[in-house]
Amino acid sequence: MQLPTRCLITLLVLLTLAATGCGGGGGGSGSTGSGGGNGDSGDSAGDDDDNDSTAAVSVAEAFQLLNQASFGPTEASVARVLDIGIEGWIDEQLQQPASLQLPYLLTFPEDADSVELQTDRVDVWYRNALHGEDQLRQRVAFALSQIMVVSQQGVLVNGVYALADYYDMLAEDAFGNYRDLIEDVTLHPAMGVYLSMLGNEKPDSARNIRPDENYARELMQLFSIGLVELNSDGSQKVDAMGLPVPTYDQSVIEGFSHVYTGWNWAGAPSFQFARPTIENQALPMQLYPDFHDTGSKKLLNGVVLPPGQSGEEDLSAALDNVFNHPNVGPFIAIRLIQRLVTSNPSPAYVARVAGVFDNDGSGVRGNLGAVVKAILMDPEARGSAPSQTGGKLKEPILRVTQLWRVYDAQSSVGGYPLVESFILFGQGPLQSPSVFNFFSPFYAPAGEIRDAGLVAPELQIATEYQNTLFTNLMLLQTFSFNQASDSLRPEDIFIDISEEMSLVDDIDALIDRVAGKLLGGEISAALRQELTGMLEILPSEPAEFRAAEAIYFIASSPEYAYQR
Amino acid sequence: MNLDRRAFLARAAATAAFASTPGAAFSQVVGGGSGFSDYRALVCVFLFGGNDSFNMLVPRSTAEYNVYANARQNLSVAQDVLLPINPLASDGVDYGLHPSMPGLQTLFESGAATFVANVGPLIEPTTKDQFLNQAVLLPPQLFSHNDQQDQWQSLKGQALTATGWAGRMADIIRDGVSNQQMATNASLFGTNLLQSADDTVAYVMGPGGPLQFEGFSTTPGSFEFQQREAFLRVLRAQYGSIYERAFVDVQQRAIEEADTITAAISTAPPLTTAFPDSQLGQQLNTVARLIAVRERLSMQRQIFFVATGGFDSHDNQNEDQPALLGGVSEALKAFYDATVELGVSREVTSFTQSDFGRTLTSNGDGTDHAWGGNQIVVGDSVLGRQIIGQYPLLQIDGADDVGGGRIIPTLSADQYAATLARWFGIAESDIGAVAPHLANFSQTDLGFIA
Repeated sequence: MQLPTRCLITLLVLLTLAATGCGGGGGGSGSTGSGGGNGDSGDSAGDDDDNDSTAAVSVAEAFQLLNQASFGPTEASVARVLDIGIEGWIDEQLQQPASLQLPYLLTFPEDADSVELQTDRVDVWYRNALHGEDQLRQRVAFALSQIMVVSQQGVLVNGVYALADYYDMLAEDAFGNYRDLIEDVTLHPAMGVYLSMLGNEKPDSARNIRPDENYARELMQLFSIGLVELNSDGSQKVDAMGLPVPTYDQSVIEGFSHVYTGWNWAGAPSFQFARPTIENQALPMQLYPDFHDTGSKKLLNGVVLPPGQSGEEDLSAALDNVFNHPNVGPFIAIRLIQRLVTSNPSPAYVARVAGVFDNDGSGVRGNLGAVVKAILMDPEARGSAPSQTGGKLKEPILRVTQLWRVYDAQSSVGGYPLVESFILFGQGPLQSPSVFNFFSPFYAPAGEIRDAGLVAPELQIATEYQNTLFTNLMLLQTFSFNQASDSLRPEDIFIDISEEMSLVDDIDALIDRVAGKLLGGEISAALRQELTGMLEILPSEPAEFRAAEAIYFIASSPEYAYQR
Repeated sequence: MNLDRRAFLARAAATAAFASTPGAAFSQVVGGGSGFSDYRALVCVFLFGGNDSFNMLVPRSTAEYNVYANARQNLSVAQDVLLPINPLASDGVDYGLHPSMPGLQTLFESGAATFVANVGPLIEPTTKDQFLNQAVLLPPQLFSHNDQQDQWQSLKGQALTATGWAGRMADIIRDGVSNQQMATNASLFGTNLLQSADDTVAYVMGPGGPLQFEGFSTTPGSFEFQQREAFLRVLRAQYGSIYERAFVDVQQRAIEEADTITAAISTAPPLTTAFPDSQLGQQLNTVARLIAVRERLSMQRQIFFVATGGFDSHDNQNEDQPALLGGVSEALKAFYDATVELGVSREVTSFTQSDFGRTLTSNGDGTDHAWGGNQIVVGDSVLGRQIIGQYPLLQIDGADDVGGGRIIPTLSADQYAATLARWFGIAESDIGAVAPHLANFSQTDLGFIA
C-alpha cells in the first residue's frame, strides 16, 4: 500500500545535496529549451460573440475561474477568459475533446517494466494537466478520480494500462451522463480489480462462499449516495430521535453484491482462465453467465429484482436503482463543488446544483456537463467579495501544476518523470492510499473550522510534514531547478524564470510580476513588505537569486495556498 | 555570471555557521510544573483495512479447530502449522498463532505480550437477539471502513464527537506536562482522529521523523535566519480566510517544532536493535529514537500513532496474509526489543487497533467487513501471556454471528481504551471522558496492564 521508500530517500538525499550545494551529477548545462508550448493558445479567438457580460470580466475574476476550473491560470488562459467571458470560456471548454493517456503508453514496448510504465503514466498525466487544451475536462476528471477512486498503490501496481484507460474514461465521461459514468466505472477492469468485483462469483453455500461485498458497499458509500439520507440541499435528514437515517443496511449491500457476480476480464476462454492482457485492460469486464447469481436481489428503497434475470439485466436495473436515488444530486454536487470551488458550499448552492443534476432544463437527469457549468456559473463560485469561509485550500498537486504552467516547467528528457508524486506532494494521479482518497470530504481540523461545523478536506494532508516538504521543494525548484542552473540532470524538472531575472533591478516590478503570475496580482501588504525586505538583502547579481527568492517566497505563502 | 547554489549559500550564510540553538527559546517561555514523576508512552499500531485477526489467533484444539476450519473453508490456516502458545490461564482450549508470526509467539511466551480477544466498538453489551431485534444501541455504520476506524479512534458511539480518545487524554493531562518540548501526541502516519483534541494539537512528522526547513537557520545574522524570520512574520499577519488561518497554524508549528525535535533526535545514540525495512518498521524505529531522547525533550507522557495498510483482504487473502501478519509480528518484536535496549520496556506499551475483524465466511478468495476481532498489547507493564476476555465460537450462524460470520464483540473498544488510559495516568474521575460508554459495561478495567 505504499510507494517504494527509496523514492523518498532519493528525494531527501536530493534535498540534502541541494542544501549543501554539492548536488547534481555534473553533466551538461541546462538548456533553456524551446518554450515547451503552453497549450492554451489565446490567439485562436476570432469568433467572439461580444456581449456585455464578457466585457465585465476582470483579471482577478478570470484568475479565480482558472484556479477553479483548470490546472492553473496562465497568461494565455487569462487572456482567453478576458476575451470570451466566463460563460464563453466554460462553453468552449465543454466542447474540447479529451487528452488521453493510453495512446501514449501504447507507444512503449509491450514488455516494458511496469515501474517505468507507471512513471510514463504519471508523466502523461502531468503533460495533459499542464498542456492539454481540455483544461476543464482534465480538472473534472481529476476531481472524479478522487471520488471514484482506483489507485496504483495496492493491487493495481502492475495494472498500468487499466489505470490509464480508467483515467481516459473519466476524462471522456466528465461532461456526459452520470448514469453512463457509473456503468463505465462499474465495468472497468481497473475498478474490478481494485474493489474486487472482477472475479466475483455467485454463492456456494456448501463451501460457505458468498459474493464479495466490496464494490457493492463502496459504490453506494463513496461514488453515489453516501451513508445517510440527504435533503436536496445536502443537509442530513433525521428521524424522530434526531438521528441520521441510513440509506441502506447490510441486506441491501448483500443484494447488490449478488448483482455484481459473474464479471471477469474480457475475451477469456472461461471465467476460471480469465487473465489480464494489454487489450482487455482497456475493455469493459465481460459477463460469464454461469457465474452470475440468478436469485432475487434486494436493492435500495425497497426495490427487489426478480430471480432469473441475466447479469446484464440485473446490472442495468441495479445501476438505475442507484442513479435514481434522490441522494445522488446533492451527493455529487457537494463532492464536485468541494474539488472545484469551495469546501463549504451553502445549502442553497448545493440545492441549485443538485437541481441541475436532477433536471438539466431539458428533462435529463445526470447531465454532468450541465452540473459542472452550474457549479462554475453559480453566484457563490463567482463571488469576488472577500469571505471567511468561501474558497478552499488548494490541493498541493494543484499548487505545483499552477506554478509549473505559468513558469513553463519542463525537463531535458521532455516530460515529467515523477512517479513519486504521491510521496513528494501527498497526491499523485491515481495514487491514493485507499479508496477513501487522499483526504476525507468531512475532515475538519480542530479550531475555528471544526467549532463552526465547517470542513476543510485538503487540510487533512497539509500536515507539518507535508507542508515542510512542499516548502523545501519550492526552494529546490526555484533556486536549483531553473533554466539558468548549470547542474541540471536530464530528468530534473526546471522552470523558466528568465522574465523575473530581467526585473531584478526593480524590486517592486519583480514582485508585481510574480504576484501577477501566481496571485492574480492580489498580493497582501504584509507579504509584499516581507518579500521586499528579503530581496533587498540579496544582491542583484546573479539575477537568479532575487528571481528565485521572489517565486519561492510567494509560492510558499498562505495566500498562494488559498483558492478564493 | 552563473553562480551555483553552493556559492549562494556560502555568501548568504557568510556571517554564521549552521549550528542551531534547539529549544532554547521554547524552554524559556514555558514554565510550568509536572504532574508526573515518571515517563510513560503509548504506541498505537493501527492496521488499516480491517485485520482478519481470527486467522491471527486461532483455536488449535481439534474440536474448536474443526468448527473454525468448517467456517473458514479454503481460508483456514492448517492446524499443524499454527505456532503453539501457552497462556498462563486456560479456557480449556489450545491456541496458536498464524505461522508468519514467530516474533509475536516469542513475545507472548516470554510474557511481554497479551491478546485481547474479540473486542470491537460497542455502545452497550450486545447479544445476537438484541442485535436482530434492534433492541440495543449500536455504533452507526457497522462494517464500514472509515466509520469503524472513527469508532476505534474516537469511541464516539452515536455522538458527533470530533475528538479522539488519545487527544482527550492529552487535553486532560495538559497542565501536568507543560514542560514538554514536544506535543504529547505525535503521528508518524498523517492526520488521525485518535489524536484529535480540543485544546492540544498532535504533531505530524514523517515516517523517519520531522523534516527541517531547508534554507532556514536559527542563528542570527545569516540569510537563512532572516528568511526564517520573514516567513514567521508573514505567518503572523492577519488572514481573512479560515483556510489560510488553518494553514498558517500548521506552518508555524512545523517551523517552530522541527528544529527542537530534530536537534534532540540527532543526539540519540544508534540503536543496535535492527528494525525490519518496512513502512511499520521505519515508523517504529523513529518512535524508538524519539523515546531515546525523551529526557532531552522533557517528555513525560507521549502517545505515538503509527500505522500500516493493506489489511482489507477481499481478494487473494491466502497469498497476502502471511506478509501482512508477518510484518506486524516482526515490527512489534523489533520495537519491543528496542525498548528493552533503551531500558524503557516497562514505560512503553504498544497496542493494535484495526477497522474491524473480517467475516468468517469467504467470498471465494477473501473476506469481507465484519466487527469483533483480536488485538495485541505489548510491553513489560503488560500482564503478558494471557488471552483476555472470551474467545468466541467461530461458527457460522452460531451464538456470536450476526450473519455471514460477523462476530459480535464481547469486549468493547471503550473497555480496551480505558484500561490503557488508566495505566497512562488518567485519573478515575476522567476515565469517562476518555471512554464515554465505559459505564455501560460491568468490567471497567480489563486487567491486562498494571
